[in-house]
Amino acid sequence: MTVDDDLWQAIGDPTRRRMLDLLLADGDGTATTLGHRLSVTRQGVAKHLVVLERAGLVRGATSGRERRYRVDDAQLARAVAQLSSVGAAWDARLQRIKRIAESLPPATS
Amino acid sequence: MEYASIEREIYVDASPEIVFDVVSRPEHVKQWWPDDADYSLVPGEAGRISFGEKSETFTVVDVRRPRSFAFRWTHPEGEAAEQGNSFLVTFDLTPKGDGTLLRMSETGFRERGWTEAVAEEHHRDHISGWDFFLPRLAPYADTLKVGS
Repeated sequence: MTVDDDLWQAIGDPTRRRMLDLLLADGDGTATTLGHRLSVTRQGVAKHLVVLERAGLVRGATSGRERRYRVDDAQLARAVAQLSSVGAAWDARLQRIKRIAESLPPATS
Repeated sequence: MEYASIEREIYVDASPEIVFDVVSRPEHVKQWWPDDADYSLVPGEAGRISFGEKSETFTVVDVRRPRSFAFRWTHPEGEAAEQGNSFLVTFDLTPKGDGTLLRMSETGFRERGWTEAVAEEHHRDHISGWDFFLPRLAPYADTLKVGS
């Protein structure tokens, strides 16, 4: 499994996660439509879209005068799976920490 | 530059002092994570944790018994651990009733972490319904297929 910093950075930002949510809910969107819904300037949204596109999380296609963006389902699933596996590793470790701590005798010092 | 983070909390029925020792002292840490742990509880000193034949750099960042403990790991050999070259793991402990609320966060994800995380995937069946990072994206995981 190859992972890159681009992917982590792309989903590390709350505005970009909201953009992904909106694109998933609406099917697709442009910098203008996303800007309206997020109260972010069109230029700001365009910058975020570049980051998301570089990470492969969205794909843009030129339609008329604007680019329309859609979420790349496979790449999003990959990102979620990776996050989930790191989280799962910590879940297991914390369960072991709990078990060990609860089995130790109370400190006498 | 903002990296993703993993955050978790768990209630432990033991005093903060005991939980602190379990999450920080090498002889305990190797019971719940690496096969071996070789470091001192002195911030900034170079140490190691090993997984079988493989080992990783490990440097303690902050020690405040029994309130918090932080370390960095996976920085390149010979480099000082710092933001951008390593993962930062922080444990915060709060007394709760007769026990301890233990909060963990790990930030600074880079490629190396995945290999180790994936190696632990077989522990997944121990997990019961905890929230995970990006709760709003998580539901989509079930509806999507990788690489189809």
